[in-house]
Amino acid sequence: MNPIRHFFHSQKKHFRPGGRLARLDSFFEAMERVFFGTDQVTAFAPHARDSITLQRYMMLVIVMLLPCLFFGMYNVGLQAFKASGQPPSFWPMFLYGAQTVLPLVIISYVFGFGWEIVFAAVRKHPISEGVFVTAMLFPLTLPPTTPWWQAALGISFGVVIGKEVFGGTGRNFLNPALTGRAFLYFAYPIQMSGDAVWTAVLNAGSQAVDAVTAATPLVIASVASTAGTVEETLAAAGYDWRTLFLGFYPDSIGASSALLCLIGAMGLILLGIASYRIILGGTLGVLAAGYLLMLFSGPTALPYLSLNPFYHLVIGGAAFGIVFMATDPVSAPHTHAARWIYGLLIGILTVLIRVFNPAFPEGIMLAILFLNVFAPLLDQLVVATRIRQRIPNV
Amino acid sequence: MENLISLFVNSVFVGNILLAYFLGMCSYLSVSNNLRTSLGLGLAVTFVMTITTPVNWLLYHYLLAPGALAWAGLPQIDLSFLKLVLFIATVAGIVQVVEMVIDRYSQGLYNALGVFLPLITVNCAILGAALFMVERRYTFVETVVYGFGSGVGWLMAIVAMATIMQKLRYADIPTGLQGFGIRMIVTGLMAMAFMLFSGITL
Repeated sequence: MNPIRHFFHSQKKHFRPGGRLARLDSFFEAMERVFFGTDQVTAFAPHARDSITLQRYMMLVIVMLLPCLFFGMYNVGLQAFKASGQPPSFWPMFLYGAQTVLPLVIISYVFGFGWEIVFAAVRKHPISEGVFVTAMLFPLTLPPTTPWWQAALGISFGVVIGKEVFGGTGRNFLNPALTGRAFLYFAYPIQMSGDAVWTAVLNAGSQAVDAVTAATPLVIASVASTAGTVEETLAAAGYDWRTLFLGFYPDSIGASSALLCLIGAMGLILLGIASYRIILGGTLGVLAAGYLLMLFSGPTALPYLSLNPFYHLVIGGAAFGIVFMATDPVSAPHTHAARWIYGLLIGILTVLIRVFNPAFPEGIMLAILFLNVFAPLLDQLVVATRIRQRIPNV
Repeated sequence: MENLISLFVNSVFVGNILLAYFLGMCSYLSVSNNLRTSLGLGLAVTFVMTITTPVNWLLYHYLLAPGALAWAGLPQIDLSFLKLVLFIATVAGIVQVVEMVIDRYSQGLYNALGVFLPLITVNCAILGAALFMVERRYTFVETVVYGFGSGVGWLMAIVAMATIMQKLRYADIPTGLQGFGIRMIVTGLMAMAFMLFSGITL
């Protein structure tokens, strides 16, 4: 540790007021905090006595996201090899997946962190670690064939319009990663939706990355015919319950595995980072809406209605969204009751949009953004109710 | 009945008059500072819309539409070019009445709404609802539901905006964007979230 400490100590003077790089002071602070804890302490009571700073808080989320990232690399490779008919073997698949996924992650970090530095330097606010989580979440929600420039544009929109115009982390009202993702969805629907974008295939020709048509389980479920149940249709396409739960199907890079999301959820709840109320509420919302729709199913109704509610949790990005996106501490509500309602509504809306909105096979992204819009209202309603319940001081 | 419910859901969420058609922006941007005031204005707009849209329907179908004057023995007369003028006049008249009622029964709300209450007269959402009602050939009952639904949609949007602006009081917004700039950005982002419902056909 000593050489690193020495290095930071010797460079510090350039970033202090009067130094040559004084404008980049916040950048220096952020880099120093990656290696060392903060030396800032409060002078007066109340003192925070917990060791969990914002930095550790965000880093723990990233640690929980890493399994999703590595699984995503493997899965992208696996789907590519399946599609091109090559014999599956672990390392070539993983390396191919890494080759597809890592550039998107790196672009996301370069642009996301780049904007954060620019705004920190110009507006003189400290660099927040929140941007590291945003830049990790964003590429995990993209299709693997996303063009690089679109990834750069999306993360820029998410960080600048979704967060920095409000003054940085903690002041935004929408989840920045999802803002960028939704922007890309509406701006470039051809590269962001349809059947052709979810599988990247290595092509020997001039074009490095090409795509094949492989419907995601969500699309298969939504167009399932009346012959046989939806579960049978999915199984016939090669997506039985186990495959779907483990996540071996074409979808967004890191959002496919419900198992890893479950592990992430438990980790985040045990570490006290994510609100278990939001996660449980979201899960219950999905199951409740799925169950209610089952009541309306019949021989003449839409076959999608009869899908087992648990399938709604494991296909597509519902689990990933509920665990990692909806629990964003800034854009989610802050009161306990509001968090339950918020989670429940996200779950319910996700299923309703999947089934009834032909424009979106997946509803979780916009469901979370929609509830982000109403999160402050939920908070205010809960507070108002509490105040009304108080016994007045007579 | 099912048709009416889907029309209501449609006018509140899918075709939200503010966030999908961007009508009624001026009072929405100016009066969305706190929940109480915006709730009051939202309720006033909902009330005015629920009344004026059906009244305009009656006026249009019994006075202005081609052949509407058949009851007076003048079936060949077409006065539909007057609909803009007449609709605005109706809205203005009804707003006057609403203003007097609020002044009489809720002085606090009257003071909070200030100049924006008379400005409901020129709230384009209300005129827009009346014009959409003609264009989409709604029946009378549908018009009542549509007017009420549009009002509720507008109310939802302004209330959400007001709570977001209250949250943003703690934000550090760049000088150039303070005021209307940030409100336009917030409205755009809200409209993006409302795209959730676009494409639903009920």
